[in-house]
Amino acid sequence: MRKHLDDIHFDDEENEINLTPMLDVVFIMLIFFIVTASFIKEAGLDVNRPDAPQTVSKPEDANILVMINANDEIWIDRRLIDPRAVRANIERLHAENPEGSVVIQANKKSTNKMLVSVMDSARSAGVYNISIAQ
Amino acid sequence: MRRKHGSLSVEEEENEINLTPMLDVVFIMLIFFIVTATFIKEAGIQVERPDTVTAEKQEDASILIAISATDEIWIDRKERDPRQVRSIIERLHAENPKGSIVIQADEGSTHEVLVIVMDAAKQAGVTNVAIASDDD
Repeated sequence: MRKHLDDIHFDDEENEINLTPMLDVVFIMLIFFIVTASFIKEAGLDVNRPDAPQTVSKPEDANILVMINANDEIWIDRRLIDPRAVRANIERLHAENPEGSVVIQANKKSTNKMLVSVMDSARSAGVYNISIAQ
Repeated sequence: MRRKHGSLSVEEEENEINLTPMLDVVFIMLIFFIVTATFIKEAGIQVERPDTVTAEKQEDASILIAISATDEIWIDRKERDPRQVRSIIERLHAENPKGSIVIQADEGSTHEVLVIVMDAAKQAGVTNVAIASDDD
């Protein structure tokens, strides 16, 4: 009888589940998800913010028009502008009309380098409401 | 002697670390990371991004669309036809409706293709579109 009880006790200990392999698997999954969760942070410029109220209420209200032609030349106010002077020009026009947003009209053949450069200049000048005419 | 040996064995058993609380914590961390993992659809090619000074980090970007210098559109590691772009954006946007689109336009790509992609994004119902740039 005593021996029988001892056997049962021994059996119980043997039947305990060994958690170590599961722990290994769970840890590996945890490490995998931590590593893949490193989100790519892409830097960029927002185009035409949807929460800008003035673009909805007064669309043609004396916006600052910037044209980019097929040869990547920038025209503001019927004058050819150097890319480095765009910021100063937008600043001046923005001071004259603080409500207006910047509208960029780019030719199909113009490069996106010039477009982003104009957007960047506008943002440096303090105008964050930029739309691209399509 | 025999008795002493027995008591030693009991002590050793008592000293075993209880793994259950650690297992609980690890499981909760695992579930957290599975739930928060939003996989970004990468475009598949490297482009020469324009330099800017006012770029902002795009926190919730989930779809990256690249336009190469030769005006090819790359989404999800494949080159796509301009007419396909809208349906692909719709499908990817359905997987993660809160994500925004970042267009990686090469410096030499033309405005025409950028407008095609932005138009497709608007038609697919994605209002949050940004153009990628290098910040210093």
